[in-house]
Amino acid sequence: MSAPDPGGDLVLRAEHISVEYAGRRPTRAVRDVTIELRRGEVLGIAGESGCGKSTLAYALARMLRPPAYLTGGSITFFPGGGAPPVDVLGLQGEELRQFRWNKIAMVFQSAMNALNPVTSLARQFTDLFAAHRPDLDGAARQRRARDLLDMVGIDPARIGSFPHELSGGMRQRVMIAMALALQPEIIIMDEPTTALDVVVQREILDEIERLREELGFSVIFITHDLSLLLEISDRLAVMYAAEVIEQAPAELVAAMPAHPYTLGLLRSFPDMRSARRALRGIPGTPPDLRSDFPGCPFEPRCEFRFEPCRTAHPALRPPPGRPAADGPATDGTAAAGPQVSDWRVACHQHDPRYRPGGPPAGLNGLPAADVVRTETQVGAESGGGDA
Amino acid sequence: MTVLQVTGLTVEFGQRGGANLRAVDGLTCTLRAGQTLALVGESGSGKSTVVRALAQLQKRTSGQIQLDGQPTPRRGPALRAYRHRVQLIFQDPFASLNPMHTVRHHLARPLLLRAGHLRGPALDAAVHDLLRSVNLTPPEEVAGKHPHELSGGQRQRVAIARALATEPDVLLADEPVSMLDVSIRLEILNLLDRLKRDRNLAMLYVTHDLATARHFSSEIMVMYRGQIVEHGPADEVILRPAHPYTQILASAAPDPAASRQAQATARRQRQAVRAARAAELRETALGEGCRFRSRCPHAMPVCQTGPPDAPAGPGHRALCWLHDPAAGAGAA
Repeated sequence: MSAPDPGGDLVLRAEHISVEYAGRRPTRAVRDVTIELRRGEVLGIAGESGCGKSTLAYALARMLRPPAYLTGGSITFFPGGGAPPVDVLGLQGEELRQFRWNKIAMVFQSAMNALNPVTSLARQFTDLFAAHRPDLDGAARQRRARDLLDMVGIDPARIGSFPHELSGGMRQRVMIAMALALQPEIIIMDEPTTALDVVVQREILDEIERLREELGFSVIFITHDLSLLLEISDRLAVMYAAEVIEQAPAELVAAMPAHPYTLGLLRSFPDMRSARRALRGIPGTPPDLRSDFPGCPFEPRCEFRFEPCRTAHPALRPPPGRPAADGPATDGTAAAGPQVSDWRVACHQHDPRYRPGGPPAGLNGLPAADVVRTETQVGAESGGGDA
Repeated sequence: MTVLQVTGLTVEFGQRGGANLRAVDGLTCTLRAGQTLALVGESGSGKSTVVRALAQLQKRTSGQIQLDGQPTPRRGPALRAYRHRVQLIFQDPFASLNPMHTVRHHLARPLLLRAGHLRGPALDAAVHDLLRSVNLTPPEEVAGKHPHELSGGQRQRVAIARALATEPDVLLADEPVSMLDVSIRLEILNLLDRLKRDRNLAMLYVTHDLATARHFSSEIMVMYRGQIVEHGPADEVILRPAHPYTQILASAAPDPAASRQAQATARRQRQAVRAARAAELRETALGEGCRFRSRCPHAMPVCQTGPPDAPAGPGHRALCWLHDPAAGAGAA
């Protein structure tokens, strides 16, 4: 979508973000997370409940509320059209109000709770424009609201409806329309389809993709559903215990996950059409985020753990042997983007100091049929069924 | 061997100022010992009402439920005995356990219903056996905990142990993993699968997840607005879906294996189909016809009349005119 513009194609860079929830023993929900969002891309953030992914999203949009506090890091926004970069954390008062929703909008997890149940959609759109586009008169606001509804596939005549008169899928479409209302450059979507059933979820995802192609905004898409994320994102960041433990191009990571947790997550979603085989998840449970981890937080659940994992904290670094920055791009991937450049993983198995011979089978990126997907059964392509 | 035979099960709910809502319409199925039958469908299709009716928590309007050939009692000690043999596992382990009680209490109560003479160490031993059977170890430690001290997966294991306490023959699992974290779902499903085999349980697995439905069951029923629209061997239903609704369900599931280009093409096709039918998408009066016809890409005039329960393969049936043997079509 976006013109390849090496170096200058970032729209958001968040470095060393840390967030705490205050308490007697503070919950350190985000720990030293660095992510970059490129113009026009979908960055997927995957992780289980309680891993800090939603907290990170709120931090990026400057929407944290006590008892959550940003305890460190910096966020830089690069506006389109060559305007100077914005230090997001430095924004105060009116500047901050102008930034939020104008530049970064958010689609919340529960559309039921995010919409006001006692006012009509018309009124809620009007409120939004009154706050952010005071120059628009009443008729123009109405017109714009109807256009937005039309854009997300809702009959504009429904503008007088109340949220309870809409289905779950329609409410989520309204939320997307509201996020698009001010033509932001970034939309953060926090589990936008989790409460919906698969068919409606598919409709919403298709709608998001179409709008993104039309309008060219960038998306940070957060969900626990890794299979969905692999399908829609350009790049993927996997979070575990408040940290990003792997960053990878979405198209490649399914075939060669570098981190044992990513591998475990991938195995947790049985493929609908592949051959039947023994399935397993990840034994154990995630750690308490009030504690500190001297070693790797995933160590107690990890089938690949070895000596250093208990004592040394693994840093996010490029795994040797993967498509690296400026290295030869892996053939067969989309030629459109620079997305093969920045694989990162926080795992000692990829650290040459501990594993001079490279990581063991399963993590070494070689196609291990047993590990990720077995051959698709013959006849699966007739699954569509219509002749 | 048949354990639970359901014939023509219908459940209706009264609605203020309107006709009754038929949440389950003529369901017929068989739960067999040592086998899992999956019931899949979107939210609101009536899946949970089926479970509640089978557990006799919900009165049925008509139809038969037979446990080992015996008609089910509606009240009294016989109903209690039925409930011992047909146990439930609920979706939300945060809501289905009492926060005031320990794990021991949750398990001792149903144990005492079955074997009221158990006391002291014998009762503790029975509680510990149950905990071990669901891999909650060390049982001595777990038994003394309250639900808030356990993770979601551990709570669901307690709920499963509780269901096993009365030594049931039938287990009704209503979305047993959809509230749990993704990394522990398979562990719980594997546990249920092992218990089913070890104890020769007949299991109904209610879910909206087609992939686990296929991997953990031998047969699948697909429910749409109260009706079973397709029923057959698990692989047949998922790999060669016969009913247009199942086809749409199967194609809606994420497919990370497809290339970006294939995905974009598929997306445009779906959107074109959707746009073409957008006007008809809204709810139509059901009347007698096929309930899916307003969303169906293959809808034809004949769909105004109720579709036949037609054979679509070995042991595989679909409620759809496309498979009407009389028309000799069969080419869906």
